Amino acid sequence: MSYCVKCGVELDPSLEKCPLCGTPVWHPPTGEEEKPYPEHREDAGKTRNNGLVILITVFVCSTAAGCILLNLLLFTGSLWSLNIIGACIFIWLFFIPAMISRKLHTPAVLALDGCGVGIYCWIIALQFHGQRWYPEIALPLIAIGTVFIVVLNLLYRHVSSSILCTAINTVLASGAYTVIVDLLIGHFKTGQWHISWSAIVITCCLIMAVSLFTIMRVTRLREEVRRRMHI
Amino acid sequence: MNKEKPKEWYKLDLSANVYPTLQRRTFSSVYRLTVTLTNEVRPVILQQALEMTLPRFPEFNVSLHTGLFWRYLEPESGPPPRVMKDVRNPCMPMKLNGHGSRLIRVYYYGCQISLEAFHSLSDGNGALLFIQTMTAVYLRLTGIVIPVGEGILDITETPPADEMEDAYMKYANSGVTPGRIHEKTYRVRGTKEPFYTLNIIAGEMSVDDLKAAAHRFHATITEYLTSVLLYALQEDQARRQESYLLRPVKIALPVNLRPFFPTKTMRNFITMMYPGIDPRLGTYTFEEIIRQIHFYMQFSLNDKFLRADITTNAQTQKNPFVRAAPLFVKDIIVRRFYKRVQDRQSSAGLTNLGVVQIPDEMRPWVRRVDAIMGQPFSARTNCAVISYGNTTTVNFADSIVETDIERYFFRKLVQDHVHVTIRSNREGSMFCSEESSETSDHTAAGEDTKCHTV
Repeated sequence: MSYCVKCGVELDPSLEKCPLCGTPVWHPPTGEEEKPYPEHREDAGKTRNNGLVILITVFVCSTAAGCILLNLLLFTGSLWSLNIIGACIFIWLFFIPAMISRKLHTPAVLALDGCGVGIYCWIIALQFHGQRWYPEIALPLIAIGTVFIVVLNLLYRHVSSSILCTAINTVLASGAYTVIVDLLIGHFKTGQWHISWSAIVITCCLIMAVSLFTIMRVTRLREEVRRRMHI
Repeated sequence: MNKEKPKEWYKLDLSANVYPTLQRRTFSSVYRLTVTLTNEVRPVILQQALEMTLPRFPEFNVSLHTGLFWRYLEPESGPPPRVMKDVRNPCMPMKLNGHGSRLIRVYYYGCQISLEAFHSLSDGNGALLFIQTMTAVYLRLTGIVIPVGEGILDITETPPADEMEDAYMKYANSGVTPGRIHEKTYRVRGTKEPFYTLNIIAGEMSVDDLKAAAHRFHATITEYLTSVLLYALQEDQARRQESYLLRPVKIALPVNLRPFFPTKTMRNFITMMYPGIDPRLGTYTFEEIIRQIHFYMQFSLNDKFLRADITTNAQTQKNPFVRAAPLFVKDIIVRRFYKRVQDRQSSAGLTNLGVVQIPDEMRPWVRRVDAIMGQPFSARTNCAVISYGNTTTVNFADSIVETDIERYFFRKLVQDHVHVTIRSNREGSMFCSEESSETSDHTAAGEDTKCHTV
């Protein structure tokens, strides 16, 4: 029998080092000892549903292909099939990457979702004279919205996952996004950068954020909210 | 005209309702009991023993089904589960697919027979009866005479109805329902192992050594081991956290309610206690911890407090608004509550299944019994204790790389003159941070000095 010199515990002959501290151990050779645990590790199965991935992909592709054929052969009045194709691309980008890869980080998935929305809007812009509104309003709003969602997600994951903190971040981000929407629309219409109606929204958001921050900082208030709302 | 017999089904008991809610592809509330025999297990006979035993335990011969408002269990009439070769990573997630998906698994490896069960079926006590009876049937089939009684049920008798009762509802009749104290506790933040790894570190020790150590502090074995785990958690927190970030350290300790409330139920009948210390008040010596835990147990473990506790738990299920809510709404709320409140209420889990009672005729053929609590919900460690003969086994199970809690725990036992033999399924992935390496430079005796000077 061998002992770990650091932990003082006796070690099973199957152990090459102490599992508690990692100190190597030497066992005098004896006869064949039965190992206490099997060698074989079982694969717990795929945690992603590949069947569903295949089904969604086939459904989306066949829908797009069918619509293209109908558009080319039967209903040839306009390029209506582009809308369906855009929707199919969006659905695929929304669901599939997260289902295929376990290693794909959430920000990457959210960025892909943003790309999906961007592509769909671009297809709509192609049909509805979007040469101006797409680059000046739609694209910046989609890009900034995606960045905001990614940042909120990162804050939730790495800074604080408490409901109150998430609520403060969400309220502030909503206020800031409203200001950006107001600025972009104003610039599109008048060519000037100025804030109008969004000033009221951002003021309300700031009041809500300050109130939530106070609840978060005052222990008695925070506990009361937690108790009443089970959060 | 032949009237078809209505299909049998069972309600989930009070605590069994929670476990399927937490179910994910990567997580199931599964625990394991292992009996190590003196001779190699023969799988064909084990399969036969399982098939003979299962009808006597209808609560294990079921599958889980989903209704509109609640989940329920339905007896399975199909072929029984097959015994399987054991694996290195036990307690893997189970699929709850309704018909045909049994919620138990039986494994064999060398001289070991293992039973894994989904927690909605039964608690450790019910599962212990099942594996003891199955082992007795197995031994009988190999030609050994094992009598009925002392933890071995008669497989020829019809299962009495009261073995299936929801004992919680029977005893949830206290006049008062004390509120819950929801307090965030210290959380062990470990590095997650890749899916699916369950690291086990098992310590084997003599019951006499443990008793002697516990009696030195005028405590029971459960109180002593709980205190050692709290001590280990306190040490871990002191090393990892700045003093202004300290949190209370608590342990989720399931209490078997059967000794307090007479019942024959084989289903879940446990409640949770949260003994702990608050290091924000100052560092506790081991003597202070064990004294606090001893008095906490003395104060809380009585039928009045426990009945009130059960009543509080049952109140939620009796609430008409809760009953009327669709299952998916219940799932969202329960899972959220568990994740944000229940899981954060304790820093680790410890369960003591007590002493295994089997007939004397069976003892020469059984070498050891182990219990494993299974995969913890969050990145922390769970500890299961069980005693057989003069041997107590303490199994730590977790899915994190670090072994700091286990190291502090077993070193403390060694300091208290308890001889510990360790075995593990870890594959060289244990990790000691720099600080812990420094600490590990102390010998067990060296730490003894540290412990008493704190």
